[in-house]
Order: sequence, then C-alpha cells, then structure tokens
Amino acid sequence: MRTTRTRRLLLAASATATALVLAACNANPTTSSTSSAPAAAAQQGGELHILTSQTAINWDPATSQNLAITTLGLVERRLTTWDAQAGQPSKVVPDLATDTGTPSDDGKTWTYHLKPGLKFEDGTPITAKDVKYSVERSFAPELSGGLSYHKSLLVGGDSYTGPYQGKELDSIATPDDSTIVFHLKSAFGDWPWIVSMPAFGAVPQAKDSVSGYTTKPVATGPYKVAETQQGASVTLVRNDQWDRSTDAVRTAGPDSIVFELGQDQTVSAKRLIADSGADKNAFGANFVPPAQLAQVARDPSAKDRLVTSGAGALAYLAINTQAPGLTDVKVRQALQYAVDKQAFLVASGGATGGELASTLITPGIAGRQDFNLYQAAPSGDVAKARQLLSEAGWKSRQLRLLVDSDATNPAQGQAIQQGLARVGLKVTIVSQPDDVWSQTVTQGDGSKYDLVLSSWQPDFPSANGNIQPLFDSSQIGGGGYNISRYSQPEVDQLIAQATVETDTSKAAAIWAQADKRIMQDAPVVPLIYTKNSFLHGSHVQNFVIPAFPAYPNYLKVTLGQ
Amino acid sequence: MTLDHADELVAAPSSPGAARPARRETWWRVLRRDRFAFTGLLVVVGYVVVALTAPLFLGWLGVDPYTYHLDALDENGAPAGWGGGISAEHWFGVEPLTGRDLFAIVVMGSRASLAVGLGATAVAVLVGATLGVLAGYAGGWVDVLVSRIVDVLLGFPALVFMIALGAIIPLRFPHSPRILILVLVIGLFGWTSIARVVRAQSLTLRSLGFVRASRGLGAGSGHIVLRHVLPNLAATVVVFATISVPGAIGSEAALSFLGVGVQPPTPSWGRSIGDAVTWFSSDPMYLVFPGLALFGITLAFNAFGDGLRDALDPRAVRR
Repeated sequence: MRTTRTRRLLLAASATATALVLAACNANPTTSSTSSAPAAAAQQGGELHILTSQTAINWDPATSQNLAITTLGLVERRLTTWDAQAGQPSKVVPDLATDTGTPSDDGKTWTYHLKPGLKFEDGTPITAKDVKYSVERSFAPELSGGLSYHKSLLVGGDSYTGPYQGKELDSIATPDDSTIVFHLKSAFGDWPWIVSMPAFGAVPQAKDSVSGYTTKPVATGPYKVAETQQGASVTLVRNDQWDRSTDAVRTAGPDSIVFELGQDQTVSAKRLIADSGADKNAFGANFVPPAQLAQVARDPSAKDRLVTSGAGALAYLAINTQAPGLTDVKVRQALQYAVDKQAFLVASGGATGGELASTLITPGIAGRQDFNLYQAAPSGDVAKARQLLSEAGWKSRQLRLLVDSDATNPAQGQAIQQGLARVGLKVTIVSQPDDVWSQTVTQGDGSKYDLVLSSWQPDFPSANGNIQPLFDSSQIGGGGYNISRYSQPEVDQLIAQATVETDTSKAAAIWAQADKRIMQDAPVVPLIYTKNSFLHGSHVQNFVIPAFPAYPNYLKVTLGQ
Repeated sequence: MTLDHADELVAAPSSPGAARPARRETWWRVLRRDRFAFTGLLVVVGYVVVALTAPLFLGWLGVDPYTYHLDALDENGAPAGWGGGISAEHWFGVEPLTGRDLFAIVVMGSRASLAVGLGATAVAVLVGATLGVLAGYAGGWVDVLVSRIVDVLLGFPALVFMIALGAIIPLRFPHSPRILILVLVIGLFGWTSIARVVRAQSLTLRSLGFVRASRGLGAGSGHIVLRHVLPNLAATVVVFATISVPGAIGSEAALSFLGVGVQPPTPSWGRSIGDAVTWFSSDPMYLVFPGLALFGITLAFNAFGDGLRDALDPRAVRR
C-alpha cells in the first residue's frame, strides 16, 4: 500500500473494521443501503457525477491502489470484493469467484472457482487464465506502484518479473478454465482480503498494453469506459455483458457515471453545498476541507447531505530516526510530549476532523489495545518535554518538517511547529507537492527531512496493515513507507511472527505487543484518528460510509428524482 | 565642440546650488495642496511607524501573532462569535483553525510587506539607475548590452520565474532568509523600467550644454555623472521608486498567496489572504482585515507617488 495522498483518498481504508464491538458503537441503525439483497431493488437510471481533484484515473489494476468499493470497482471485478454497508462490519464476499477461497495445506494453498457465464465487455468469457495473467502482470517492473502484498506471499514472487518475457508464475495454477489455485510461502489467514485487491481481477492477454490499459481497460463490472477527456472527465456507461445475477454487491443504479477530474476540493465542496443543477446528482470524492465543514455546520440543508465516517486513518508525525540528534530515543520521547495534538486536531477541522490518537493500531481493528505510553494533556506536556530534552543534551538545531502540500492543509504543519516552539525546538516547514513529497520520503537516504506529517490507512482491516508497512525495517526506502526509517530487530521479529500466525486472536495479541514495543522507541507521534467527511447532492441516495473503509461505497450509490 | 550649439543655455535646468531650496519648497507646497497625495504620505508614514514599532506595540497590548487561542474557536475550528471572533481581547477576531490573534497578524504582516516592498524597490532603483546612467552616458557597446538585457527581461515571464525561484531556492537552501530572497528576486526583476527611463534622460543630459561645457572645461566623467547627471535624475528616480513600491508589495503578497513567499509562522498579508479565500463564506472578516491592510498601503503609496510626480514635474511647478 503506497499512496500518494490523492490516491490515498480513494484508496484508503481505515480501520473501524472487521468485527468488532467498537464498530457497533458507531453503528447507525438505519441501514440505508439496500442490504445485500437483490440489487434490482435499487433505483435505476440517471447520470451520476463524481467530483474529484485527481487529474486522471488509472484503470490499470496492476498499478492501482484503489479500494474495492470505489472507482475501479465499478468497472473491474476481482475474485472477491467487499460488502461494505453503514453500521456493519465490512465483509469480504465472493465477486468473480464462487466463494472467498478454500484453503488447504494448512492455509498455504488457496483454491477459487469462477462463477459460470462471466464475460468481458466484448463478450468473450472470463477464464482463470485471464485472472492469472492479471496477477502476473502486476509483477512486471514496468507496472509498479500497485498494492504489493501478494508479491512477497506467493511462492517465487520475489524473483518473478512479469509475463512480458514469456515466463509464467508457477505458484498460480489453472487446472481448468474456471479454477485457479494460489500457492503461498507460508500460511496467510487474510488471503481472501488480498484477492480483493485490483490485481486479482481479469485482464485478457490479447487486449493488454503496458501503457494503454490505464485509460482503456476491458470492463468486467457493470460499467465500461466510454469516453476519456484527458484531465477533464471520464464517462462510464453501462456494460451490457455484465450479468446482474452474478453480482450480489453492485447495484449499478445510474445509467452513466461522469468523473469530473481536476476539481479543486474547495470549489467542489462549495458546488455541493450550493446543490444546484447537475450538482444535485453529484458527490465529492475528496474530503470536505475544514473551512467548508464550518460552512456546512451553519447550513441545515447542506448538513443533511454531509456524511462523516467513524475514526479511521492514523494521522501521525514521523520522526526520522536516522537524522542527527533524533537517533536519541529521549529526544523522540520529548517530541511525544512537546507536540500539541489538540492544536493539530483543531487544524484538521476539530471534532468533525477526528479523535486524539495514542496507539498505532487504529480503532476497530481486531485486538487493538488502547494505551498511552506518554500520558499528557491533549496540548502536550511542555515541562516534561523540556526535561527530556535537557537530559538528552539536545543542542538546538533547526528541524525540517516535510509536508505534502497537496494533502496537508497549511494549518496542520503550523500546529506542529507551534507546539514544538513551546519547548524551544525550531521547525522549518518544507512543503512539497505530492509526487516530490513521496519521492523524498520513500526513496533515497532520508537525509532531506527530520520530521514528516503523514497519514496511513490499512488496505485491509487487520493490524498487519497498520504496522508492517510503516515499521518493518524492510520497508525503509526503495518505495517503502517506513518513513521514520525505524529499524528494530525485535519489532521485525514480532511482525514476522504475527504474520504467519493463523490463530487470529493470537496474532492480534502479538500485533498489540508490537504496537507497544514500537511506541517505546517513539519513532512516530500518533496525532489523531481522522474522520473523513464527504458531501453529496440532494438526488444522490444510498451514499454511505461503512465502518471500514472510511470512504463512501461507490458501488451502491443510486439517484432519486 | 562645434559652434552649432552655441545658442543653448549653459546653465543646467536645475543646477545644484541656489535654485534647489526654492524648488524643494515649491514641490513641498504643491504636495501639501494635493490633499489626496498628502493623505497618502501620512498613511505611508503611519504604516512605517506601526511596522517599526510592531513588537513593542503588540507587547504593550498583550497580543502576539504566534500564540494559539484554541478557546476562541468553535468545535469546527471556526472562530467562535460574531465577525470572526471580534472581541475586546481580539480586535480583528482570530484566525480559523489556530485561534491566533488576527490584529497581531495584520500588524506584524506590515513588516514583511514593507520590508519586501521597500527593499525590493531599493534594489531595483540601485541596479536600474546605475545601469541606466551607465548605458545612457557611456553609450556605445555598454548601451547596446544594457538595452538588450532590458529587452530580454521585459519580455521575460517574470512572475512565473519568481514563483519557480521562490519554490526552488528554499528547497536547496532551507535555512536561507525568505525576506532577503524575496527582496532580491522581486528587485532583480523590477529594475528594467527604471533603467530605461534613466538611460533616456541620461542621453538627453549628456548632450545638454552645461554638461558639454563642463566637459569642455576638462571635467572627468566621474565628476560629470556625480555632479551634473545624477542630481538631475533625482526627481525622476524618487518618483519612480515611490510608484514601484506598491508593485513590489503586491508581488510579495502574490508570491505569499501562492505559497512561495514568506513562510509560516511569519505573518504575511498575502498568505493570510490566500488562506482566507477558502473561508470567505463562513468567516469573511478573515479576508477583510488583511485585504484592507494591503489595499490601504498600496493605495497610499500610489496616491503619494502620483502627487509627488505632479509636484516634481517642472510644468506642474510653473502652473
């Protein structure tokens, strides 16, 4: 899971999730979506508009990090997908496959059967070979950037370089046209979630193109791409080869869907607040910015059309554990007390923006233990921080706080700066556009920053997604997201141990242990569990945010009149 | 020297010496009569005094532009209360999402605006006047070179380039002083028009009788430039400088608005205005106060500059 923040928008996943009693707390008893029952019950017709700040949609399943329930899910089906409804824990459910997978060989082998009668948009049948090919192409170096959990799990995945040199990945077997078998290196209990990721769809080899598939995918879902105006819009129309009876999740309400690209977040939010003309049939794919949240709070009609998720992604301040001075754990612990979390929360929109955080595993994830190793008031403990800094013998040096200018509102960086200034730490805010930002933090030697503001959402509802990508030492540099450059053999071992543990409650206990162990070393300051708010027009119905992920479920949105 | 020019006046139009005090009195009186310009001057002086004494003044009032007042915000991070949180404590209300005192921000913001406005103008005048005189007086290849540089710079998309520089320099040199960068970037793109005017005037002056006379009497180039050319350019340069200050202040605001100018938490009107745009519908006063401050200083400088030009214009004096 790798994410430019804009992609994180569509992608993310937070964790108010699987199971859990906690999720039930947020539970909204009115289940507004049409249960998992007959999709035909949903209102049909109309043209839905989706306003997004993205300037392009990447339809290539090998390079996309899209969530199962957002954009790509409308066009491309996967082996499994998510049944994500308001107030209920999200479930992984069969999509192209007849079930969520049959494990054998102690969880190392997973077998799937395709539903009969599935077709691509051109009428050719979907076979297991197309699924296998889709997974194989995600290994190709020229198609990097997608979710890569499966790459280290499949046997031979480490050395496989994609199908373009004529090689196949032998750990994926297709004994017949409707059966596909995956052989894993070790048992992996969350495998049904892994096969809900974009690469586990179907791509016909004859229509594949490394550069062209991003704009011209071959649809398997209820919609196909009809028209792409570069940088302006993408129009989807119905795919008549999609058979409603094979699909329990997608209601396919609107006749067509138009993505309006490159929309400024503030402007989209204002359009949706105004709710005039075609915007009545629109919703925003981006978070509503704090200024517009304040505006909505004073506008009763817009308030009804604002949907806020439960506590989701973790927003955190990463401390570069390899930077001069910050190698000292005392200094990092001083930062835990120095940061003004309350100011950060207010800068993120106050109560609608999130809840104060102290753990790395986000609320709602199985086995999460609530603890706070650095007890302090929400605005920090200045005296304690000063004391720790003087014990560490900190010599004043300017710290560079790197922020992603596309994702972070400027007030957030200043809230951190202000908090640290109280203990005499001078901070320079270095603001970089999204692509430069991710280059700086995930590539190279990390010498260009001391602190980074970031936020993280697991790609599937498991503590694994909270911890492994951010704190495993294998994820330092080279595109990995261990941006605190944190390396602790003890933690690596706990991660390895929890990953192979098939007993979920035992695994959860190990993850909780890892959470605490990491926080002792203080490589990050957990700031808030963010809540995401979205606006929709007055004709848009069944617009719900499930417990996991904290994003609207595009697959069930319909239009009323 | 040929005799063709013997009928020219040998005295300079305003030679240093006896004529000067009278002239100064005259332009001052003209300026005093021009109420608009005079008000402009008073406002400019007021801004400068406020900017110079800002930390003392704010300290005396007990506010500062850096302290967060989260209690002055409602649960959404918007200022609580009327007019963006206007109260006895916070005269202009508070900044949304941070609760910093907006009055203090506006007052301290004048420092960045004036420092950059005056600094960049000083750089522009220094470079422009020097090169202009050099080109106009020396002529020849120097003139050709300077004039071509001016042509190139005038045809250059300066704002785009300034944005690029404003974005790149801090990345390469994270600890460089932003105000100085802004002064240099804006100043070094703003000298061309001054250089052109000064060059043209120097060309004229060079061939005037009193200059030629002193050269005929054996004066060196340095003496002529310092004693005869520059004093006669002073009025033009002063007027030009005054008129270009609001332009430089505007450039600073524009760059800060676009996020490549003065960096937080140093207050800047341009950045406040940039932040306030998204808040306009829920908290208009956040945009109004920094906007008015910027409007006030640019209007005052323009009014003063216009009046000064009228006052120093020889035709206007004779009126």
